Amino acid sequence: MINNKGKRKRYEAQNQKSAYLFILPSMVVLSVFVFIPLIASFVISITDMNIFMKDVQFVGTANFTKLFADKRVTNATFNSLYFTILEVPLQIGLALLLTVCLAKNNKYSKLLRSIYYLPFVCSMTAIGIVWSMLLDPNMGLVAYWLKQAGIDTIAFLKDPDFAMPTVIVVTAWKGFGYTLTLLAAAVLNISQSLYEAAEMDGAGSFHKFIHITIPGIWPTISFCIVTSTISAMQMFDQAYVMTQGGPLNRTETVVQYIYDRGFQTAPYDLGYASAISVYLFVIVAVITFVLRKFILSRGEDADV
Amino acid sequence: MRKKLMSILLGAAMCMSLLAGCGNSAGNSQTTDAGSTADSTAQTEGTQPDASDETGDTAEAQDAASSGEKITLQFWNVFTGSDGDILRGIVDNYNKTNTDNIEIQMDIMPNDQLQQKLPAAIATGTAPDFVLFGVENLAPYVSNDSLEDISDFWEVTGVDKSNILENVLELSHVDGKLYGTPMQYNVSYLYWNKDLFEAAGLDPEKAPATLEELAEYAEKLTDPSKNQYGLALPTSVTYMQFLWANGGDADDPATNTNLLDSEENLATLTWLQDLMVNKKVSPENITGPEADTMLQAGQIAMYMSGPWQINGLREQGINFGIAPCVAGSAGAFSPAGGCSYVIPKGTEESHRLAAYKFMQYWLTDDILKEWSQKNGFPVWSKTLMEDPEIQNDEVLNSISKATEIGRSYNLGYSLASQIDNDVMIPMFEKVMTGAATPEDALKEASEAMDKVLAQ
Repeated sequence: MINNKGKRKRYEAQNQKSAYLFILPSMVVLSVFVFIPLIASFVISITDMNIFMKDVQFVGTANFTKLFADKRVTNATFNSLYFTILEVPLQIGLALLLTVCLAKNNKYSKLLRSIYYLPFVCSMTAIGIVWSMLLDPNMGLVAYWLKQAGIDTIAFLKDPDFAMPTVIVVTAWKGFGYTLTLLAAAVLNISQSLYEAAEMDGAGSFHKFIHITIPGIWPTISFCIVTSTISAMQMFDQAYVMTQGGPLNRTETVVQYIYDRGFQTAPYDLGYASAISVYLFVIVAVITFVLRKFILSRGEDADV
Repeated sequence: MRKKLMSILLGAAMCMSLLAGCGNSAGNSQTTDAGSTADSTAQTEGTQPDASDETGDTAEAQDAASSGEKITLQFWNVFTGSDGDILRGIVDNYNKTNTDNIEIQMDIMPNDQLQQKLPAAIATGTAPDFVLFGVENLAPYVSNDSLEDISDFWEVTGVDKSNILENVLELSHVDGKLYGTPMQYNVSYLYWNKDLFEAAGLDPEKAPATLEELAEYAEKLTDPSKNQYGLALPTSVTYMQFLWANGGDADDPATNTNLLDSEENLATLTWLQDLMVNKKVSPENITGPEADTMLQAGQIAMYMSGPWQINGLREQGINFGIAPCVAGSAGAFSPAGGCSYVIPKGTEESHRLAAYKFMQYWLTDDILKEWSQKNGFPVWSKTLMEDPEIQNDEVLNSISKATEIGRSYNLGYSLASQIDNDVMIPMFEKVMTGAATPEDALKEASEAMDKVLAQ
């Protein structure tokens, strides 16, 4: 008996050893690019360190005190939240709407889904440049058309009030194809018998959508909400390419401000930039936690 | 149809300048910056041969020519534009002809990329042997002890430093010590489009000389129906020439004092806001590269920028003139800038001496002449100024007049970049977009300045 148990333990231990071997490659990559930088930024955030990495001093919470008094941090946080709150629903709503029409396996739907997916494969930099060209009030095609149509030109990215909405729409345009693909795949997985049963009970297409489709794809929707919220909070490239944070810092996000402090404005204060990174990390962690808790619990309800 | 084609072409041109634009952001902060030098001429980028293509046969030629041990120098710079092609030509030629068995391997990158890589490279001992960048970058490197003090350069090489204009030489010094050798010098000029002047009924040979004239001309030259603007004033730039013209200033680097909050500055900012918000003489919220493109497309009648506009304007066939920046009640001034060759800390002695040799080569009149003539940069070697060809060069002549009013704006001051990005650029942007009254913008900027200077 005892002997047998020991054998089994050894067998399990061996099994686990090889399991560690399998996760080793991804652990190495994750450590180098995620865990070590993460820990490093926590450490750097409590020091006074610039890009030259000389005379590094421990300063405790000084960077964080500075952070909470910095109006540009408040402004950047507001911009990041503003972007997230509008972009995520827009992207997912648009995808959901099109899912209703395109969740069929005919040629037409497949073609359209592929077309909508295209912008997602393109680099944000290229898309940003193309859109800022098109929307430029002095040289852009859209401005030219608007003028031909007799509409007063909107400055889009050059207008403090329109810049962020423009960035939001462009980002949603780029990303909704991906969400659409995920949602459509989920919809196609829902058993047809559920719809047939609902039809027998006299449900219309609206009721079928609300009571069968949505609950059926809820796990996918919640996955999309969580991932796009995280990436929206970390928004950087589109604003960097299209507006450089302007006009009047109205599109400057937290990540952009981190980049500005760390790499653009001498004395290249890495300590302070890291402190802002930690601050962003905490915000994203809290939002993700809340979202997951809220959405996952709803998802379980729906499953029941 | 023609208009449509035009807008597509312009779009493509703008795309190019934006491509360059995203490589540069610190560079945009000053009109006199090397970064924008590189940017504004980036249209011809991509035509240059790769460094590695060139090095093969050069190396062989050298082995035959000299028996001394070969020294390979790594050289980083920020000349991503057409001026980079000319620089590469000069370096290649040096590689082929020098008798000291020196080979220079050049690495060109956008300014903000260089500013990210270089400090880390110096800290880890992997820095290049010498670097070429804008002099506004010197101070932060020196205050972090990251550049070699090269005060012995004149003694070692025997170059006559009295032949170089004092103000140009001064730009390579920090706290009285030499950290670089001059490569080029420039100030901001006023460019004007003579054809547009004529069409607006102005004398095409007479540029505005005062702030009043500038405003008056700009208003006359603005025609929204034709998408034509009198004067391009990009945001994300500081306009020290305007503040100085009326006797104002931003700060005094020598005493760390804030000079922003003055009647003179208030008057200048009020004038500027009127020009932008009420008279709308400039396209709203444009960037430097966009203004460059519009100037080359003939959509802009007047623009203040550095010598790097000249090649682009020539290529586009614009009939332009170059004048000094306009004067106010206190006179006319223009922010000065330039580029210097510097040696990162930790470069070994033999390589440092080899880099000296190339710097010495650059400071010969032949090379300086080639550079000035091809790029339209002002001449600052005293013997070269006597050269008849230089004296008869029309562009260089108008430039040398415009260059006389050069004035240093925080060069050599380690807080310069912060003052620009956190105080001056936001202030000008608020005033120019009308987001704040000149009074409020000035007050806010003055408080921000106090904070920066208190460090």
